[in-house]
Amino acid sequence: MVLPLSLLRTAQNHPMLVELKNGETYNGHLVSCDSWMNIHLRDAICTSRDGDRFQKMPEVYVRGSTIKYLRIPDEVVEMVKDEVKEVRRQQKDNTRAKKNFQRGAGGNVGGPPRGGGAPRGGRGGQRGRK
Amino acid sequence: MPGEKDDSTRKKKESIVDLSRFIDKKIRVKFQGGREAAGVLKGYDALLNLVLDNAIEYLRDPDDPHKLTNDTRQLGLIVARGTAITVVAPNDGIE
Amino acid sequence: MTQALDTFMNKVISVITGDGRNIVGMMKGFDQTVNLILEDSHERVYSTQAGIEQVPLGLYIIRGDNVALIGELDEDIDKRLDFANIKAEPLGPIWVL
Repeated sequence: MVLPLSLLRTAQNHPMLVELKNGETYNGHLVSCDSWMNIHLRDAICTSRDGDRFQKMPEVYVRGSTIKYLRIPDEVVEMVKDEVKEVRRQQKDNTRAKKNFQRGAGGNVGGPPRGGGAPRGGRGGQRGRK
Repeated sequence: MPGEKDDSTRKKKESIVDLSRFIDKKIRVKFQGGREAAGVLKGYDALLNLVLDNAIEYLRDPDDPHKLTNDTRQLGLIVARGTAITVVAPNDGIE
Repeated sequence: MTQALDTFMNKVISVITGDGRNIVGMMKGFDQTVNLILEDSHERVYSTQAGIEQVPLGLYIIRGDNVALIGELDEDIDKRLDFANIKAEPLGPIWVL
């Protein structure tokens, strides 16, 4: 499963359309976003609610709470599946590296939590699901 | 273990936009409820509260609150509350 | 007893948004605030004169606070519908900003 905010993060540098609750639409390239869905677009065009007024701006910051929806290019969905696999692989490598480190220095360290190595990350810890 | 995590799991609480670039520059701000203002950015904080100098409000058509007129009114030195801000953009470069 | 939206994962759903629009698409993801990812979505525009108009939209992220209703779409029944002949009053917005 793909989380909406992960999809948005993967869509960085892609063009997108954002409609706000006040009816304005912004077309631009996503520079960055955060966990509140606040977004930073560059080279944006703002279209008014009636569709009759246009404004071009080099960049714009939009509060997440005012967003109604975002339209993103279809190819981003393909990219995000690869990124999810990559993140999971990195987490596996991290936990493996940590386990090896603990085992190596293990004698002196007082009881590191061993066993119960449930993989971290992902809501509900659903493994094996693509 | 303070390992370097990649972008998707960043723990830093910094804003995604760096407002220091806009200090002493004119910016345009839109608010919840539809008001629009512009002013010179004198200061800001992480909550997006802004200090704008020589600020003006763009007045809206009373019949159609979504339509801006060419009228403005002077506001002077204001603090714009971050919680009410919806959009921030630099004023120059707007065509 | 809260139930997550897992039951709708990878199914075609019909969403009614706060502004009264009806969007249909396959749900690819969601989160706790009910932000939704819809793939291959299209909007169904209802009218009392013409039949249903379907506007293709592609990949969509709908913000959770704009979602009023989510329903699973039965694709078999949906295939049998004659869109050109269905006339209905369009829904109004739930709130006006």
